Amino acid sequence: MFGDHAAYIVPSYLISLLVMLGLIGWIRITYSSHKKALKALEAKGIKRASSK
Amino acid sequence: MIENTKNNIGIWARLGAWLTHMANPTRFMRFADRTIPYLAGLSLSLFAIGLYLGFTAPQDYQQGATVQIMFVHVPSAWLAMMCFSVMAVSGIGTLVWRHPLADVSLRAAAPIGLAFTFLALVTGSLWGKPMWGAWWVWDARLTSVFILFLIYIGIIALSRAIEEPTTAARSLSVITLVGWIIIPIIKFSVKWWNTLHQPASVSKLGAPSMDAVFLYPLLTMALAFTVLFFCLHFMNMRNEILRRRLRVLKIKSGQLGKGSAV
Repeated sequence: MFGDHAAYIVPSYLISLLVMLGLIGWIRITYSSHKKALKALEAKGIKRASSK
Repeated sequence: MIENTKNNIGIWARLGAWLTHMANPTRFMRFADRTIPYLAGLSLSLFAIGLYLGFTAPQDYQQGATVQIMFVHVPSAWLAMMCFSVMAVSGIGTLVWRHPLADVSLRAAAPIGLAFTFLALVTGSLWGKPMWGAWWVWDARLTSVFILFLIYIGIIALSRAIEEPTTAARSLSVITLVGWIIIPIIKFSVKWWNTLHQPASVSKLGAPSMDAVFLYPLLTMALAFTVLFFCLHFMNMRNEILRRRLRVLKIKSGQLGKGSAV
């Protein structure tokens, strides 16, 4: 499909995919860890002024 | 003419009102929660169409099959610059209007911009080797994009180094606005200097010097990347708001000092 240049084209798409998946994964993991930490603190009765 | 001017004022007034409405982080979180699934779906659909158009496009008479690399390289490079411009506008939002979400937007965009700049450099290098015979040359376009990459790293490092939130927001805004000078340098580097990198072929005034068979997949992929950027930006802004809430609660519980970061 890509002829002699497959060695350059395939890594271009693979690296792009990996970087994007890595970015999405990092953002999603950060979101769940922040949510978890907030819940843990709120469970201890420590709440923001606006959520009282 | 008068009608057009009135319409323009109407659009800016509505945008201003919307931005003021979004100054409440909780309201923004609700907006992001609703919008993110649609942006993700739209981005995925555009990627599917763009990849289909790209992989079924014929080989270029000069570049051969390596033209396929352009469909990821060019959108990454555009996004690297657009993301920095979003950060610069956010910087103005912090310094001029003190909008509560402006600093959130700037901080959230920086790692995404860094990732796209990295992709632009790597895919450019993978295209350069078969076309120019070199992985890298220190020409004006490549060097200026590399400087952008370093500026992104600097801004991320600074955002983690200053713990006091107000000082950090102002410092980041100033550095971003000063650093924005690199964007016109990148854009016009191929005109101002004699570079190995080819001049603009899509954003030329008049008609793009690119056949429709390559232009359509390129534009579809660029749109897919842009929608993905806004989706990731909203997701990371949500994270930044949560990080701030977490910091406040940790200070309240005595786990952190007032000048500390989470």
